[in-house]
Amino acid sequence: MNNSSPANSNQYKNGNGTAREGYYRRLFRRFILLTLLCSLIPLLLVGWGINNYYTRFARNRMMLSFHTKVENHRKIIELFLKNRVSGLQVIAKTHPKEYLVNVSNLAHVFDILNSEYRSITDLGVIDERGRHLAYIGPYNLMDKNYSKAFWFKEVMKEGVYISDMFMGFRKVPHFIVAVTRSENGRKWILRATIDTESFRSLVENVRIGKTGEVYLLNRSGIYQTSPRFSGKIMEKASQPLGKPCEGIEVRMEDKSTNHAGPPHPRQLIAFGWLKQPQWMLVVRQDYSEAFNDVNHANLAALVFLVLSACAILIVAVFITSHMIKIIKKRDLEADGLNKQLMQAGKLASVGELSAGVAHEINNPLAIILTERQILMDLAKQSPLLPRDFMDQFNNSMSQIDMQIQRCKRITENLLRFSRRTKSVIEPVDLNEFLCEVINLMEREARSGGIKFLTDLEEGLQTVLSDPSQLQQVFLNIITNAIDAHEGKPYGSIRIRTRNDSAKAGVSITFEDTGCGISPKNLERIFDPFFTTKQVGRGTGLGLSICYSTVKRLGGDITVESELGKGTQFTLFFPYNPPADLQKDIEDVHTF
Amino acid sequence: MLGAKILLVDDEVVFTENMSKLLSSRGYRVATANSGDEAIRNLERENFDVVVLDLKMPGMDGLTTLKEIKKLDLFTETLILTGHGSIDSALDAIKLGAYDYLTKPCEIDELVAKIEGAWGKKDEEVKKDIQEKIQKVVESPSSVFDVFPREKK
Ligand SMILES: Nc1ncnc2c1ncn2[C@@H]1O[C@H](COP(=O)(O)OP(=O)(O)OP(=O)(O)O)[C@@H](O)[C@H]1O
Ligand SMILES: [Mg+2]
Repeated sequence: MNNSSPANSNQYKNGNGTAREGYYRRLFRRFILLTLLCSLIPLLLVGWGINNYYTRFARNRMMLSFHTKVENHRKIIELFLKNRVSGLQVIAKTHPKEYLVNVSNLAHVFDILNSEYRSITDLGVIDERGRHLAYIGPYNLMDKNYSKAFWFKEVMKEGVYISDMFMGFRKVPHFIVAVTRSENGRKWILRATIDTESFRSLVENVRIGKTGEVYLLNRSGIYQTSPRFSGKIMEKASQPLGKPCEGIEVRMEDKSTNHAGPPHPRQLIAFGWLKQPQWMLVVRQDYSEAFNDVNHANLAALVFLVLSACAILIVAVFITSHMIKIIKKRDLEADGLNKQLMQAGKLASVGELSAGVAHEINNPLAIILTERQILMDLAKQSPLLPRDFMDQFNNSMSQIDMQIQRCKRITENLLRFSRRTKSVIEPVDLNEFLCEVINLMEREARSGGIKFLTDLEEGLQTVLSDPSQLQQVFLNIITNAIDAHEGKPYGSIRIRTRNDSAKAGVSITFEDTGCGISPKNLERIFDPFFTTKQVGRGTGLGLSICYSTVKRLGGDITVESELGKGTQFTLFFPYNPPADLQKDIEDVHTF
Repeated sequence: MLGAKILLVDDEVVFTENMSKLLSSRGYRVATANSGDEAIRNLERENFDVVVLDLKMPGMDGLTTLKEIKKLDLFTETLILTGHGSIDSALDAIKLGAYDYLTKPCEIDELVAKIEGAWGKKDEEVKKDIQEKIQKVVESPSSVFDVFPREKK
């Protein structure tokens, strides 16, 4: 059904409606955009900031940890080597050359050393000219002369020497440690070959993750221990070497594929130089693995960000559509109010105008009526007038009377707007009252084949209202309903009353089976002078009078209609009239 | 028997003339006045049984005229004629002591009926007044000159 009333009619029927929809859509988009901007930008900024900070922090931590790794391992290696050196030094310092030259004595010392360190393969005593004075070990090296060897010169100069790894005669990587002692102004050398097994395990067994490796390089870039991936001991490393220095350096090495050696992805690399021998300790690990945690954290943050963005989006959409709904409702209410104001304004101006017009018309009408009466009196006194003249005369006279009555009805209706009659307020039992009104109209309705059906709530509360105004309203509505059945052989008017305790009043519906009202007309039926009836049949004032009367009584009137099916007017009257009417009650009592 | 003596007060000359014709032909003695002032002057000069008074007139309007008439303290009844819109003032007029009101335009028969009513009431008032006065004189004959100071009240 098409719902309409002055307060709530279909405002959105025409272009206005679609324009409004567009406006709401734009508003919706703008709200969403704004909300998203306002919440997402800070979120992204904070996210980006935290992420950045955290990444840097984690990276520094990781670099620091690489730094300490190198530092610690360097210490361990240095300690290991120092141990060996000092072992030899103690032997050299505590045993004179004469004693050690004796092979059995040397073997004795060798055994002691080995029981202590378990890593010495052979031991030899060499004089200042590079000749072996005594040797204990698996090889026959007695006739070797070292005077030309690099290490010999070094140890003679420095007092202590640790060699790089070399294959030597044994085809096994090993290195030597040599110390000198001066006895009676002559130097001699104690030299030991260190089994690399234990030394290498010291470095090679260090495991860092899946891609991490630790190894030693000598000054010319030869692996002194086998790295896990990059190569083999004694091989040449592809890694460029810097100058030996004190500190430890940590840096990122980009993905390498060009230079020799297996290609590796981006890596974190840390290195530091040993003092004696000048070996470089290197710790390296794939960047991706080293920063696995950071990457995980970043991924988690990203997921979190996306999730929160989604949540914000959903909430924004939800809140915004809710807000738009509220705005729509407000707009509708405002529209209704405007409509009502317009209606009231129309009625007021019509009222003012009509009061004046009615007055001015009533006087000439009164004169016409008296003239008519004079003529009729005259005619009565002259019995000799011809018959057909008299017929026409009487005809005209009654027509004049009818037209005057019609004018009077119009002015009466017009004057109802401006009438500020004091309402006579008394308790009205609407059920009873409606039955009286129905009785009044019964005959007229029956002649049009229309039946009244009633559905009156028992125990309907009485309302304080003005019966004569109520009657006017009900008669208008019922008359309209009867008129709506014109051309239909039969029909019905159903009248229903209900207590509406929520609104503290009584609602009455008049439902007819008449011709119905088109949506276009539905908006206008409360307008003064709007009528679809033939000229002379309707003034178009009935419903506008009803409207202003119902409003004056503090009530409400709405209408629903479907063309061809029928119309339903719903009236509401409060149990108690509004305050200004109440005042009238007091007036009436004092009257 | 003579009909009532009527004073018609309305600013529409045609209306008062027509009405006067109609009422005269029905046996009433009719005088007309076209303003409130004229009506008062007439009343001061002559006695009328019924005054038919239009409420809406230029100059002194119906209600003021009615008040003036009441001030004269005459034995006369006033019938109000009103456009439909001024029923409120018609009611006010009744509060001020008018006999009844009629809405314009009205049928002559209606008017006549109301005039008869008003005339009857006026007669009764007069009778009641005279009885009261006789009563007073009977009770204290010495007051006869106070009660009937002049020929007319
Ligand atoms: N129950 C109804 N069914 C169908 N149309 C209706 C009904 N009530 C009112 N209308 C329509 O509303 C119009 C206005 O009604 P309204 O009572 O104001 O004036 P009217 O009936 O035409 O004239 P008036 O009541 O002054 O004699 C009617 O002309 C009619 O078209
Ligand atoms: Mg109507």
